[in-house]
Amino acid sequence: MYSDLLQSLPAVLTFANFAAVIIGVVAGIVVGALPGLSATMAISVLVPFTFGLDPLVALGLMAGIYNGAMYGGAIPAVLLRIPGTPAAVATSFDGYPMAQKGEGGFALQVAVVSSAIGGIASAFALMLLAPPLSKVTLLFGPAEVFWVAVFGLCSIIFLLGGSVVKGLISACFGVFVSVIGSDPILGVDRYTFGKLEMLDGINIVILLVGLYALPPVIDLLETPLKTDGSASDNLGTEPIWKALPRMFGFWKTWLRGSLIGIWIGILPGAGGSMAAFMSYNEARRTSKTPETWGNGEPEGVAAAETANNADTASALIPALTLGIPGTAVAAVMLGGLLIHGLQPGPMLFRDNPDVVFGFMWQFLFGAILLIFVGGSLATNSFAKLLKLPRPLLGSVIIVLMLIGVYSINGRMFDVYLMLGFGAIGYVMDKLKFPLPPVVLGLILGAFAEENLRLALRIGRGNWGVLFQNTTSLILVAMTLAVVFGPSLKRRFFKGKKIEGEG
Amino acid sequence: MSNPDRSRLLRPETLTAIGIFVAAAVFIVPTFDLPPMAALLPAAMLVSLMILAAFLLVNDQRKAAAGEPAETMTRSPKRVALAFGLVVLYALSVDFIGFYVSTAISVPLVAYVFGFRNPVGLATATVIVLAAIYLIFSIAMSQEFPAGRLWGN
Repeated sequence: MYSDLLQSLPAVLTFANFAAVIIGVVAGIVVGALPGLSATMAISVLVPFTFGLDPLVALGLMAGIYNGAMYGGAIPAVLLRIPGTPAAVATSFDGYPMAQKGEGGFALQVAVVSSAIGGIASAFALMLLAPPLSKVTLLFGPAEVFWVAVFGLCSIIFLLGGSVVKGLISACFGVFVSVIGSDPILGVDRYTFGKLEMLDGINIVILLVGLYALPPVIDLLETPLKTDGSASDNLGTEPIWKALPRMFGFWKTWLRGSLIGIWIGILPGAGGSMAAFMSYNEARRTSKTPETWGNGEPEGVAAAETANNADTASALIPALTLGIPGTAVAAVMLGGLLIHGLQPGPMLFRDNPDVVFGFMWQFLFGAILLIFVGGSLATNSFAKLLKLPRPLLGSVIIVLMLIGVYSINGRMFDVYLMLGFGAIGYVMDKLKFPLPPVVLGLILGAFAEENLRLALRIGRGNWGVLFQNTTSLILVAMTLAVVFGPSLKRRFFKGKKIEGEG
Repeated sequence: MSNPDRSRLLRPETLTAIGIFVAAAVFIVPTFDLPPMAALLPAAMLVSLMILAAFLLVNDQRKAAAGEPAETMTRSPKRVALAFGLVVLYALSVDFIGFYVSTAISVPLVAYVFGFRNPVGLATATVIVLAAIYLIFSIAMSQEFPAGRLWGN
């Protein structure tokens, strides 16, 4: 089962693939270090530029960015108490007090080592868990694949939290966008309104850039954060080999944080911030000196950073095997896979084992490289990024977005379409409509429709074909559990509470 | 004096719900011309969107009736409108007067309007961005950018 994994290793060890991971890690740290920019946005902007690249090079860049950004978020969290990414909020609890005590350099070293450990654990989880799961999913026929898509959509809507109605609207919107263009079976035009540019449907990259890159740029310009980068001038950083022995006592925290991060990553809807908070709380709860936490306890930084990096690769376990992303970044990465002709889901491991297993190795290398790339000298340099003027950054990102979207087909129509999705994304973001269901709807919508119609053809129009075997019924039961589980649980526990109170 | 009934209808979530309902209703019209199997999924999604939009509308109006404040869209609507306006203007100018000219104007303009006013910094950044784009995309990747419809290209 794991022979494909070992066979894919030599392909990853080429100069181009390795360089892609290194560049990705550096770019990820830069993006993570700049408050307002996130891994999701960086990958969205990057995806169109990867069109002409070898799939492994493109995926190496994405894996590097993902790993790098999760650590990069710790830099402003420690130095300014402004988390660079949402997942770095818990890092600021103890990281910032450490910086105020003149231990900013050590806090960042704890963050980089813990991030690397979390990332390595997560990459191993992906390598060990995804292949067996993929074997199971290979047994699926059209009806089962249809139910997997329905389960994927439902799980992200109902497990994301927030308003279910808004989640459903997002998903329906995404699925509707997926049907625009020429019908895949009958060839009739759907909602193209005579526009030739729409015949091939909406390219996922246009949607990704519009939804995930434009709103943060508008935010960046809307609130030009006045940051005081003075804390980054003198971090008092010592060489990492000198700092390492002071961290060995955190091994239990690293282990616990890794397990929590991996688990949260696998769960659709949960993300790095939840993992970091849970790990921080658990580490504090089991600490012998909980009273020191919040005042500059390095173990707090270790707990948060291990967990938020441990959810990176593990979020790809359901994404690669079932096509269900665990996080928004994983959803965007699915888009990245799609543009390289790799359909995430049951067939991915059978059809493209070299790429998918290579991608797993790249995640592992990305995590290991964090220590070298984010070491003492580099951390000092990355901290200087906090002084970059945000309006200038915003204007440069706008140019990159236009270039990226225009490059897909060499036409301005796509740019205007992206701006439209950007406006929709901005409103959705502000009104707290979740964005991952839109992306997932676009990815799974076409997939679900194709398999539903195929299943109905096999069943000669009889809808009963969707419920004819055990696997389909299990998937239906799982979907129902995801949809009704949370409300039943609430009702059950509410009842218990009332009984108890009585 | 403000009219509370009017302001209730101007809540962002209510307006969004109405917008979704109307857009879904408009899109459902061409669905009737499609063959049944091709219309199945889009019709299901559009009808669902209309029902969900109605739910959203009722929910938000209930909140309004209970005196709950509306969701805040933005702290500074003028800056958001300006940002969107400049992005759209940039796209249009790329289309009409060409990529390099538009970018040379747009990068310093957006940064200046939104608060970065160091002339040396603006000039340096613009030159670096243009040079990097030219070397990476035009030379290394042979990417062609719009030359501008106004010049007959």
